[in-house]
Amino acid sequence: MRDLLRDAAAGVLAAGLGIAVAELFAATTRPDAAPLIAVGGAIIDATPTPVKEFAVRELGTNDKPVLLGSVGLVLALFAAALGVLGRRRRILVPIGTVVLGAAGATAALTRPTASAFSPVPSLLAAAIAGATLWWLLRTVDQPTGNRRAFLRGVVLVGGAAVLAEAGAQLLTRTVGRVRTDLALPAPSSPAKPVPTGIAPGFTTPSADFYRVDTALTVPRVDPDTWTLRIHGMVGTELKLSLDDLLRRPLIERDITLNCVSNEVGGPYIGTARWLGVPLAPLLREAGLRPEADQIVARSVEGMTIGTPVATALDGRDTMLAVAMNGEPLRPEHGFPVRMLTPGLYGYAGACKWVTELELTTFAKFDAYWVERGWARPGTVKTASRIDKPRPFARPAAGPVTVAGVAWAQRRGITKVEISVDGGTWQAAELLPVPSTDTWVQWRWTWNATAGPHSLSVRATDSTGQVQTEARATPFPSGATGRHTITVTVE
Amino acid sequence: MRATKITALTAATLFSISLAACGSDDSDSGSSTPAAAPTMTSAAPMESSAAPAMTMENFGAGCAAVPTDPSNKGSFQAMAQEPVATAASGNPLLSTLVSAVKQAGLVDSLNSADGITVFAPTNDAFNKIPAADLKKVLADKKTLTDILTYHVVPGKLTPADLSGTHKTLEGKDLSVMGSGEDFKVDGSASVICGNVQTANANVYIIDSVLMPKS
Repeated sequence: MRDLLRDAAAGVLAAGLGIAVAELFAATTRPDAAPLIAVGGAIIDATPTPVKEFAVRELGTNDKPVLLGSVGLVLALFAAALGVLGRRRRILVPIGTVVLGAAGATAALTRPTASAFSPVPSLLAAAIAGATLWWLLRTVDQPTGNRRAFLRGVVLVGGAAVLAEAGAQLLTRTVGRVRTDLALPAPSSPAKPVPTGIAPGFTTPSADFYRVDTALTVPRVDPDTWTLRIHGMVGTELKLSLDDLLRRPLIERDITLNCVSNEVGGPYIGTARWLGVPLAPLLREAGLRPEADQIVARSVEGMTIGTPVATALDGRDTMLAVAMNGEPLRPEHGFPVRMLTPGLYGYAGACKWVTELELTTFAKFDAYWVERGWARPGTVKTASRIDKPRPFARPAAGPVTVAGVAWAQRRGITKVEISVDGGTWQAAELLPVPSTDTWVQWRWTWNATAGPHSLSVRATDSTGQVQTEARATPFPSGATGRHTITVTVE
Repeated sequence: MRATKITALTAATLFSISLAACGSDDSDSGSSTPAAAPTMTSAAPMESSAAPAMTMENFGAGCAAVPTDPSNKGSFQAMAQEPVATAASGNPLLSTLVSAVKQAGLVDSLNSADGITVFAPTNDAFNKIPAADLKKVLADKKTLTDILTYHVVPGKLTPADLSGTHKTLEGKDLSVMGSGEDFKVDGSASVICGNVQTANANVYIIDSVLMPKS
């Protein structure tokens, strides 16, 4: 019995050291690639929504610690068994650790934010755990003085693990503990599943999402002291902490956001899955007065964004977003909370690091960009972009796939057409979309003939409006014109 | 028995620490964000491309003619924020080139290209061409396109990479000779202001229009 306990402890201790070192390693680069986090994340991804909802209801914001505790417990039991069995059949030690490492690495690779680095911490953990267990068990088996040697080993391994873990803690805390500790509740209204038949690139990874703002240094906001004040033309002023906000029902939506300063064919547009608190109920709770027609959102660094009250109350998913693509907002995208208004350019509806919503009128107050001559209300214009082929590409003659995106958030795209060398407009195939709030992917097969050619695209929205040919600069209300690129077919 | 207890205790402590660390599901590795480090002029909501620090310096006597006030659309600071065709359109020295680019329908292609080098002839360079010839070229879209794309090389060439032979987007090679701050393109055109940054292109302003060898 005593031997069993000792062998089990050796297994747990070895696994603990592996995990701790992997966490330290991951903390310096990608904290989400740490083995337990990766496995926990993969479990969350794989959990059906009703179960998630149940977990959030029953456990509240403790759902993540409980989940990770369970993952840790299962790992500890596995490691204990490995210690016991590995002592009898030593070959089981490498086999068992390889299995564990592979499980962690697979989990890490299947996360939406995975990179080539993701499996490394899990493999490192497995290698260290395996080697440590092998060494501890050998100490046990030494004929003389095995108890003393084993004790020394235990102290050594334990000490190393505690040190590694302390280092990992220290690093993650300084790098972004506050953000990482934010537990995201499950949405009460989840996003529709992404329709089948969607092409890669529909969702823009958070790391690639465009960023346009005036902040020279990214504001670092402490979520524990962050508050949102809703005031101005309201019956009762509201002041909410982040916890207050997260206790409210959350919605999750795929929404395309774009920047007014995007040139025709430019890169400042992206689609993400956002999680947030709908704004309308908050405004009604505050008792907004009917004469208020503008929401002025203020960020922690003093930016003001003016949004029409109507766009928060007309049934669209205007929200205070707390997460993007399944993780708390990145600091550069407005952590802890940003506003999001489908159908408006960012400068008119998507205040980042928001801390104040003042109900006022357009007559009384000009927000930052309006003061600088930019138009209001900042409604997104119907537009389209060719992403394939790239400008100046040299495709071979024959069938060439021409593909891209088109957008008219809130209105929706009904038609996308391509013209080669100014010839007749030909309809492209539209891929499915979850709602009118996202861009539409389109593609068209071009029977390309040798020589230089220009390709133009135009979109039609559900109001029947065809994207205008007239060129306008981004200032003051968004660029217009049809994206036209030149390619040489060889 | 004592050994077991210590082991168990150590293991338990260790695991509770491990688990405490797992509240973290951060994937924000701040530095992994791509090139787009935004700053902002007060004039427009725009994104600045973070050009590598080493390649930032422009050079050449011709640079003196470029507006220095950062709020001027033709200044180096303003050009660095914009894609190349838009950037050039803010610069009064390049207005003939810009109208030629519009004429050829290359604005979007240049603006949305992934990283290019543009040899940009000044208005004076175009003025060296006899007026009748220039008019003829501007009217012939195919010839104009060939000439303009001959001024564009894929990839952002830094001054260190500039000397040598480069395949142009037109298809033929151009050659650059020289070093330091003194370069000649195809033996005739001098770089009068080099390494001007735009959001998606490095621009070398030249004093003669280049012609693809026929």
